[in-house]
Amino acid sequence: MAPASVVISPSGTSAVRVASALSDREAGWRLVHHLARFVDAARVPGVVCVIPTYDAALIEVDPAEVSLERLGDYLAQVVEGLDHDRPLTLTPRTFDVPVLYDLDGELDLRTVAEAQGLSVQEIVRLHSDPTYVVRCLGAPGGSPMLDGPPFPHPVPRLASPRAHVPQGVVSVAGRQATITPAAAPGGWPLIGRTPLVVLDLAAEPFVPYEPGDLVRFRPIDRDEYESLLGTRMVAR
Amino acid sequence: MTAGALAAGVLTIVEAGSTQITDLGRTRGPRYGVPVNGALDQRSARVANILVGNPDGAPLLEITALDLEFVADVDILIAVAGADGHLTVDGVGRPSNEPVSVCAGETVALRQLQGGLRAYLAVRGSFEVPLLLGSCAPDSVLGFGGRLVAGSEIALRSATAPIFNDHFTAELYSLDVPRVASGFIVDVTDGPDIEDFADTVARLFEQPYLVTPTSNHIGLRMTGPLPQRRTTGEVLSRGVPVGAVEVPPGDELLVLHRGRGVTAGYPVLAVVTSGSLDVLAQVRPGQRLRFRPVTAAEAAARARAELVELDTLRRRVRSVFAALDALSTPPTGRTLP
Repeated sequence: MAPASVVISPSGTSAVRVASALSDREAGWRLVHHLARFVDAARVPGVVCVIPTYDAALIEVDPAEVSLERLGDYLAQVVEGLDHDRPLTLTPRTFDVPVLYDLDGELDLRTVAEAQGLSVQEIVRLHSDPTYVVRCLGAPGGSPMLDGPPFPHPVPRLASPRAHVPQGVVSVAGRQATITPAAAPGGWPLIGRTPLVVLDLAAEPFVPYEPGDLVRFRPIDRDEYESLLGTRMVAR
Repeated sequence: MTAGALAAGVLTIVEAGSTQITDLGRTRGPRYGVPVNGALDQRSARVANILVGNPDGAPLLEITALDLEFVADVDILIAVAGADGHLTVDGVGRPSNEPVSVCAGETVALRQLQGGLRAYLAVRGSFEVPLLLGSCAPDSVLGFGGRLVAGSEIALRSATAPIFNDHFTAELYSLDVPRVASGFIVDVTDGPDIEDFADTVARLFEQPYLVTPTSNHIGLRMTGPLPQRRTTGEVLSRGVPVGAVEVPPGDELLVLHRGRGVTAGYPVLAVVTSGSLDVLAQVRPGQRLRFRPVTAAEAAARARAELVELDTLRRRVRSVFAALDALSTPPTGRTLP
């Protein structure tokens, strides 16, 4: 029998975590998102919400309607039938995100560079070079959760989180990167700011991208930042 | 907030304290990276709505710690549940955990909340309020909804003529709302990352924890013996359940509540049961609580028992309203004969 492609474990009395056990990270990511879409579309009784991330999906349930054990069995069966090689999106959209990098030392760019043993310019280059895949929507406010830039080391989180991180900041932590659509507390080092407005409460979802879409960062100067301030984030 | 012109009536806040309009939460939110939020003491919110014959998830008032006073321009039926407080209508004391009729123009006050932090006040017919993803629950991060202020006007969906009169005594309304056990005991089941904490898990159950003032709807922070993560390595952000017990950097234990960010990179040591999340909603900063380990089966049995209690209450309320013909009360004032 082939080894199971996921590990299913209770996460409290009202949720189940389905974590990928595949060695291929890309396949694992596709698997948990295909699972989330399947469960959403199937309107499984008792399932309240699905939160797919990089390598796992948290499935929140109403325990009065479904037992976690039965749900786990069901999910294991569903996973068997999913094709984790199938792309999430056949035609991913690309979002260009202009960034005023923190060259004036207002944020954490210098600290991040020092921890990597690189110059600030090299950090900017490494961060703005790749095309990123939106892995999932996360906190706060539907942040596009990305893989980290190809830095030599994981980025340490701040020793003490900020109580207030403004919207539009561009941050990195561990082997992850993101843009913050809404002001919130946060413990990720901040390396720049985008003038774009990400959040639109009149739309559902509130953010323009979805998992599988692409993001590119482009360094801009302060003048361009000022001129673009308040522009809505849209796909190419 | 301006009450709609087509509303059945308007409820005007005189003293807001720390009150907001909420419901059982934004269940479609977490899919989009938005917390569920909603009433922190879900059970008390349900009880308040049940007592006035509303659907459990109808918008209602969540009153935190401070006094509330309001007046409505039509007759309404209200019920208060949750933390004990001193409920008055035009200065006359009225019971909590029972439906209470209020005539147009009478002043309703809820003061001196004690024994808990949050009370819930439902109005029969509920409020006409803006929704985001199907819920009116405030979201402090998205900037949706928020605290009421003196002068806030809330549109009422319906008026309810007084259903109390000289022939009926309060006993008719002794609906026997099941009480929650007192004492702050918080049940937890094993978290998905419990193995990361190895033998330090037991610390969670050794001593009481002291809840600190930085606690809020996002999470409660508390001091006490801290379990320690024994593994190292990068953790990717994952969905975290409401009730997750985490040990972030620093010297405090963090227990996430309904306003929690839906993804985080901290291992989850334990998860508070849904019933005990209601207990956490009532703990004030400066108070102490104890964690108690329970099995998933025990927690499920308790959750089922609670559902049965609420079902029983719902049926009892329905039969009282049916007996009073209250369900067909016309929207203008009328006292039952």
